[in-house]
Amino acid sequence: MRKVYAVFAGLLLAAAVVQMYLAAVGAFDKPQDDSSFAAHSMNGMLVIPVLSLVATAAAAAARAPGRLIGLTVLPVGLVVVQALIVALGGAFEDAAGNTTPLSLAILGLHALNGMAVLGVCGTVFGRARRLASAGPEQVEEGAVDGPAVRAS
Amino acid sequence: MTTDRLMVLDLLVSVLAAAAWVGAGAAAAARRPRTAAALMAGALVTSPARAGSVLALAGAGWWFVQEKVTIALPLLLTASVVAAVTAGPRLLAASRAASEAGRDAARSPAVVVPLLGAGYAAAAGPVQTFLLGYPAEPGSALILLAVVAGAVLLTWRAMTPRVPLLRAATAATVVAALAGGALTFLPATTAEAATPVAATAGAVAPATAEGGHDMPGHDMSTQASVPVRPVTDLRGPSAPAPGGTVRRFTLTARTATVTLSSGRKVAAWTFDGQVPGPPITAEQGDLVEVRLRNADITEGVTLHWHGYDVPSGEDGVPGLTQEAVPPGGEFVYRFVAAQTGTYWYHTHEVSDIGVRMGLYGMLVVTPRGSATTGVDLTLPVHTFAGTTVVGDHDKPVLQEVAPGTPVRLRLVDTDNTPHRFTLAGTVYRLVAVDGTDLSGPGPLSRAGLRLPAGGRYDLAFTMPSGPVVLRVDDRTEAVRLTTTANGPGHGPRHGTGNGSGNGLATDDAPGAERTAGPTARSDHPGDVTDAEDAAAAAGWPELDLTRYGTPASTPYTSRSRFDRRFTLVLDRGLALGDGLPIYAHTINGRAYPHVPTQVVAEGDLVRLTVVNRGRDTHPWHLHGHRVLVLARDGRAPTGSPLWLDTFDVRPGEVWEVAFRAANPGLWMNHCHNLSHADLGMMLHLAYEGVTTPFHGGHGG
Repeated sequence: MRKVYAVFAGLLLAAAVVQMYLAAVGAFDKPQDDSSFAAHSMNGMLVIPVLSLVATAAAAAARAPGRLIGLTVLPVGLVVVQALIVALGGAFEDAAGNTTPLSLAILGLHALNGMAVLGVCGTVFGRARRLASAGPEQVEEGAVDGPAVRAS
Repeated sequence: MTTDRLMVLDLLVSVLAAAAWVGAGAAAAARRPRTAAALMAGALVTSPARAGSVLALAGAGWWFVQEKVTIALPLLLTASVVAAVTAGPRLLAASRAASEAGRDAARSPAVVVPLLGAGYAAAAGPVQTFLLGYPAEPGSALILLAVVAGAVLLTWRAMTPRVPLLRAATAATVVAALAGGALTFLPATTAEAATPVAATAGAVAPATAEGGHDMPGHDMSTQASVPVRPVTDLRGPSAPAPGGTVRRFTLTARTATVTLSSGRKVAAWTFDGQVPGPPITAEQGDLVEVRLRNADITEGVTLHWHGYDVPSGEDGVPGLTQEAVPPGGEFVYRFVAAQTGTYWYHTHEVSDIGVRMGLYGMLVVTPRGSATTGVDLTLPVHTFAGTTVVGDHDKPVLQEVAPGTPVRLRLVDTDNTPHRFTLAGTVYRLVAVDGTDLSGPGPLSRAGLRLPAGGRYDLAFTMPSGPVVLRVDDRTEAVRLTTTANGPGHGPRHGTGNGSGNGLATDDAPGAERTAGPTARSDHPGDVTDAEDAAAAAGWPELDLTRYGTPASTPYTSRSRFDRRFTLVLDRGLALGDGLPIYAHTINGRAYPHVPTQVVAEGDLVRLTVVNRGRDTHPWHLHGHRVLVLARDGRAPTGSPLWLDTFDVRPGEVWEVAFRAANPGLWMNHCHNLSHADLGMMLHLAYEGVTTPFHGGHGG
């Protein structure tokens, strides 16, 4: 189960890296419009939260430490903050829908919070790998009576 | 505070509450009782505050708070009370003790589990709003509750091996999750079986008016009195109206390299090798016959007559009214030019890319026998290869116009997003919107005109003695009209611009100073504006169309008796798209092709409410009908009646519009930000008894 957890943590990290890549794709897309960031928002609002939740379930099943389980689910919360930053920035645009210094100051936080997501995913993957290589006999035990509920 | 600001405020409060609860739990687990107590105090402020923000938002309508009132808020408040009662006293005692014992006490499951549990419950709110969207349904609510309960059990189990009733609680959580999953996904499969306008069904699957669940297997025999006819029978006539002539056009779609006015070459998809395509013009009553050929657009092509109420079989929606025209194929469209005004045509097959790449052109119909006087410019604004172009001009359109000449500018937005226009250097009137003349349009100056994607504005004025400049988005100079005599910005402007007998004179302006205005100074309120001052134009306030012009009688009003009422709540959320779950632009929580078809009978008076609880602007466009605006955000227009085919529903707005179902057929009803339509924001409106021989599954 710990190997499964490590695999999902790796997928989560990969999705976070892809997310950065897609942000740049959107930023350089011409003409710039809503569809420029379609892949970015699909990956961010669908793939990353789902992987984070699945990895958290795997972490729980693998009897990972509580702190690590918490870190694994943290990307979901940070993704919500990402969306909130975009919404908050949009609320401070001017009447014509153009950005203002204030809205840009808020929207810039999207990049910083994005780095936080990447950092958390990196940490999670590192610890999950260490956990996986710790002790195989414990892995079996964790797989047997780990709470199956998490698969839901 | 506006509704969209309230939506953001509510999200902010909900995220803060979740962060405070989770933070308090994490601090307690880390044996820091004082930090935990402070964060809990913050949570106890923000959690009830959320009730306030939800209540404030409820004033805008139930659609904006449905999932919050039924799920998120009860969950948050219950969990907050439990956490305050169980963890609160222990945490206070622990923080007062300030000893090792106190630190250890903070780490007890009786403190940490309720705090983190409240955090999970609080986080469920914004997660639901962002990921699931409107509406909260029993299935998704059960899944959400199961995830929160599972997280609580997991936390508890991680804190201590002795969790009371662990097996029973776990079983209940699993059952809730399974039941939620069944409720969420099983109806989706039946909806799929009843995909609207199914090819073989022979009839359209009806749906409930208020966007409820599909009713597969609806007994069509109850509608036995309605004659069944295929949409392919609903074609245009072969002869013009009396007095009209036949106007024949051939448009060949093909890839080409077009040269913009600056000399820049751009690869494009074109009609006849040009962007925009050849203009189609007619006089009222003429029969327009357009032969569409496809040379090499591999994706296929059709012609949709945007805003023109053609017979359904001529509407150009692939898979619904015709098959897309493949390379080498052709299709002939015929319709009588019954409406006058400014319209446009574009492909409806892969329309997001197709229109963006250039498969569009203008359709202008003038009244019969009206001699063209003065200057009449059709100005489609498009973002082409990253540049704002007007027609094929990426540099300003320059034209010399003699003072006193009547000028008409037809503004068309062929993009996915709205554009803001300013006209400087003259007083003008907005005489028509979406092709329909306004009632009593007053003189305008210092106004920003926001044109929705797909919409049209006709501006009219008499050429003054100075330059007139049209700007797009306060950045791009689109058109510069100069007088033949004077250079730009020189000499006083004379009141001679009030040409006589053209109906466009400005001498009935309410402000007397507007009529003579022999001065060019822009600091006199009411004066003709300075054409050169781009910065000033950027600050001009946006014209509120609902307050412009004078009221006039309409065939129906908001007090009329409506035969059908439909509500479309627009949002974003996870939904099943065409086979795959996507982060969709949703209508009533669903994405095309799973949005129930709206079914009307011929002659019905239909009331359509469109609510935007998302964070994007949605230019709403119903094919085949113009709609009368009844109200925006509950307020009826006080100016001219507004007959629109495309209306911008901005975040937080609620539009109520009405139309008479007098054009039988199968119609698209969709967001004209075509990238949103691609992500699910479209549905069909079908007349009872009309069928399609095509696959029916795609709207382009």
